[in-house]
Amino acid sequence: MRKAKLITVMCCISITMFFWLIPPSWGRGPWHWVMTLRQPKIKDAMINPTALYIDPHKGNYYVVDSGKDRLLSFDHKGKLLHIFTAGDELDLPMDMTRGPHGNVWVVEKGKNSLSLIDLKAKKVVRHHLKVDGRKIYPHRVELSGGLFYILDKESGDVFAFTPEMELEKRYSCGDCSQGFIDFKVYKDILLALSMDQGGTIYEFSLDGQLKKRLSLDGRALFPVSVCRGPSGYFYVLDRHDSRVLVFDKQGVFKYGFLEFGSSQGQLYYPIEIRFDPWGRLCVVEEGNARVEVFAR
Amino acid sequence: MVERLGIKMFFLVVLICFLFPFYVNASDETCFKCHKKAAFFSAKVVHPPVRSERCDRCHSPHVARYKGLLRMRPVKLCFSCHEKEKKGFFEGLVHMPVEQGLCLKCHAPHKSSSSMLLRESVSKTCAQCHEKLFEKKRYAHAPFKKGQCLRCHMPHNSKRPNLLVDDPKKLCVKCHNKRCPKLSSVKASINVAKGQVDCLSCHTPHASSQAALLREFIHDPVKKDCSTCHSGSGPSPDKCFKCHKGVRDQMNMTHSHFSSRVGISCTRCHSPHAGDDKNLLRGSEYQVCRNCHGGTYERYKMSRYKHPDIKICSGCHEPHGSKHLAMLKGNGTTMCVRCHESQGKFTHPIGEDVLDRRTGQEVTCVTCHNPMGTEFKFELVREGKKDLCIVCHRAY
Repeated sequence: MRKAKLITVMCCISITMFFWLIPPSWGRGPWHWVMTLRQPKIKDAMINPTALYIDPHKGNYYVVDSGKDRLLSFDHKGKLLHIFTAGDELDLPMDMTRGPHGNVWVVEKGKNSLSLIDLKAKKVVRHHLKVDGRKIYPHRVELSGGLFYILDKESGDVFAFTPEMELEKRYSCGDCSQGFIDFKVYKDILLALSMDQGGTIYEFSLDGQLKKRLSLDGRALFPVSVCRGPSGYFYVLDRHDSRVLVFDKQGVFKYGFLEFGSSQGQLYYPIEIRFDPWGRLCVVEEGNARVEVFAR
Repeated sequence: MVERLGIKMFFLVVLICFLFPFYVNASDETCFKCHKKAAFFSAKVVHPPVRSERCDRCHSPHVARYKGLLRMRPVKLCFSCHEKEKKGFFEGLVHMPVEQGLCLKCHAPHKSSSSMLLRESVSKTCAQCHEKLFEKKRYAHAPFKKGQCLRCHMPHNSKRPNLLVDDPKKLCVKCHNKRCPKLSSVKASINVAKGQVDCLSCHTPHASSQAALLREFIHDPVKKDCSTCHSGSGPSPDKCFKCHKGVRDQMNMTHSHFSSRVGISCTRCHSPHAGDDKNLLRGSEYQVCRNCHGGTYERYKMSRYKHPDIKICSGCHEPHGSKHLAMLKGNGTTMCVRCHESQGKFTHPIGEDVLDRRTGQEVTCVTCHNPMGTEFKFELVREGKKDLCIVCHRAY
């Protein structure tokens, strides 16, 4: 009788311990929502934000609010710091980065330029770029190793320019039919995404050599953005399916998460994905006009 | 006990033997007591089950769920015998009636004076839907004039656009080869013979009011001076923008179809030479969009509830570029209230003063509806009884 009681108590303790020790993320999938970057005043909400830049030194987030022609900065806890309009001079900003002297570089669709916002001089200098005498149409920009990497919407290629705006390198998907739709630059590689054949990830060494080409295997309906996680996995944002798809280094699909909707942790017309320096995954949502930050 | 069972079995066997001839009769002569036999046999082609008087293969003599006392849905019935065809019919691009299981749209089930049991001649059958193609024009392509649609098109499915039997560049050369005296005088004749020229860029394969079967609308530079485009560097959208300046502005929006890559440049949708409409599109708008956005059409087709008749994509979407989501021409309300006038005035509050608390975005029609199709009535994005409302109205 005593033995039976003891067994019962032991079982209860085991079960309690089991549920207590389960990591909280188990029940919520691999990622959970941490915070949302948005304008707290609901009447002044962003409209169609298109890009996120993270300043690793200051630890701030910068969001490009293309619908209201402005840039919003947030601290790493998600508190709104500033709203910047460059004296109402911005015309359909699409992407941004920051230079070594703190200057802001913006891709302005409306002006088809890579525009330098000189904060000290309080002026905007527009650069209309050309390659081999042909105009290029900037779509995305990254600054790395002193070079400006620019995705040209027309050719679908990524060009690396010196600070003097001279062409240094070209990254192309060769004979693919659609060109790149997004890219990211890391210390050792340039990662680019093409919608070709249902989505293909290209990994280049920074000297322009194509190292890897990974097919998404038709898993994405409309892949629009790509980034590399801290573990080397590839994260692909599917705009039409409102999901993030995760692939290992060999391009094998591991899992997908998030879903369609406008509530917390849901996506509506997402447009860009990137990791912040603290290993958190940030998703820019054009439809919901916000940036959602997720962590494990 | 055993004896009783034996008697029962005996009567059962007798009953079956007695009824069987009636059953067989029901499938042939019985039918023709009422249905005139001549009406089923007086034609060039008779469907084999009819010829062998096996009406029961398709029809139930007593009751049925389907019209015409059919045993199954017509398409299921057809494929119960035509199993081989079923496998092949759904590969590549599928003709719409096949996709929708409307075999009887083209084929007669009993008899026909046309081959393949077509309801009418090939051209008349095609003209049922493609009536615009058959409008009277001064010049007509010989096979088209003779009603030989199937010389160029597959009736059920094809791996090539427009259900063509071969690559369009090769197809023309099959008849219009180098021996054709007219072609030999053309500078590009060698390329034509090799199948390297896109004949359909200038010529219509059906009928035209223009001589040489040129398409109805000719691009201005073709009429005046080819060197307007064919000079200097290779093809590029910049060449198009020299004249089409408004299009360049649209291409500089956050979302656009802007590209110079071979597969998706301006000439992917537009012919640089001639077209059947003023936009010089390479086919109907529906076809042109579907060439790339096949997945969207597929999802639309599979959705349970969808906005009817969305073949004109440019009704709501900007084909070149837009700063709105989904490349819409305006926001999610302005597009809808053009037709849905009453909903624009009397509905759940919408507009710039009504903000979605979750996102701070203006509540529009597409906050709740997705015209491209959903699984819920009225194309609602969630179930309309409760789920849809509580995402915003949590207190309820």
